[in-house]
Amino acid sequence: MAKSTTNPPLTPAVLHILLALSEQERHGYGIMKMVESDSQGKVKMGPGTLYGSLGRMIEAGLIRESDKKIDPEMDDERRVYYKITALGQTALDAELQRYREVIAVAKRKSRSAAYGT
Amino acid sequence: MGHNQSIRRFRNWYGTLLRLYPKPYRERFAEPMEQTFNDLLQERAKEGKGSFGFALWIFAETFAGILRETLMTIPKHILRPALLTAIIMLFPIFGSLYVDDWNWHWYSFVFAGSLLFSAALGYELVARRMSNKTYRLAVGVAVISAFAMNWANFAVGIFGEFDDIPTKPFYWGVILIGLIGAAVVRFRPRGMMYVMAAMAIAQMTVPVIALIVWPVEIRHLRHVAFPMLFAPTVAGAFGANAIFAALFIASALLFRRAGAHLKAQAV
Repeated sequence: MAKSTTNPPLTPAVLHILLALSEQERHGYGIMKMVESDSQGKVKMGPGTLYGSLGRMIEAGLIRESDKKIDPEMDDERRVYYKITALGQTALDAELQRYREVIAVAKRKSRSAAYGT
Repeated sequence: MGHNQSIRRFRNWYGTLLRLYPKPYRERFAEPMEQTFNDLLQERAKEGKGSFGFALWIFAETFAGILRETLMTIPKHILRPALLTAIIMLFPIFGSLYVDDWNWHWYSFVFAGSLLFSAALGYELVARRMSNKTYRLAVGVAVISAFAMNWANFAVGIFGEFDDIPTKPFYWGVILIGLIGAAVVRFRPRGMMYVMAAMAIAQMTVPVIALIVWPVEIRHLRHVAFPMLFAPTVAGAFGANAIFAALFIASALLFRRAGAHLKAQAV
């Protein structure tokens, strides 16, 4: 319970961005593609939502800008990369823990409904 | 070649759209956003998909982002009154569009909007000075009463629309007493109590002056601001003013209570 007071629930956009950055640092387009792939195409973020969320996440200390570098798979323009911070990782872990707890409660309830108790 | 041309054109338009973002946001994110937009269009071109509908969706989505970011730069004490005004103004807008005989001129909208915004902003600026609930309630009653009085005065006329009884400027005086008085007492509860009492007295002075200066016209009143409540008589004119005066007195009593409460807290 203490965790939920220090880490308030994350919005879907923030959760997906943190998930996308949890493995490696990525640029905006990379985040968008990863979010789309993680959600199996269910979450589609445009640049307005993505960069608005990135700005607020930087201010909250959940992520930070990494260096500007070239993506070897894209053309030769330099891109800004974003990186998850320790605080961001903690917030993500807390959110995933919350999801696990909700799923555990849901499973318990469906079991008791099945046994009619 | 055709793809590259249209991508370049869309990217130029997108760059223009990004200029609408607030400056600090634009300086930080416009370049990577433009880059991301370019990447998305390139991806679609590689997949052989058309880009017009997609670009249109991105423009709309980005425009929503611009509105969101712009609204976030506006201080809350201005944003809240502005939003409240916009929501309330939807009623007369729809009324003028769809209700017969509801034909406001453009200046009526400007007047109503300005009056509403001023009242809401006034409440925000004064009420946020103190967290005391009674004080806030007193400010609320004062602002709503002043707003309603102004509305009745300008929109209908507390003495009706009789050109022979030009009392409208007198009511500006009532508001002026409130504004100057509040500034002089620096919005302190006890001082505000006297200001509100002065406004109530000034309010009731108007029909007395009207009765003295225009005795014949006032006796022939057929219409006051609240024809459904009062008989169209001298008493009607006094009654309409008494409602506002009573509201100012109620606000004065609330200010007195807030003052006593704050004094007790200080001790």
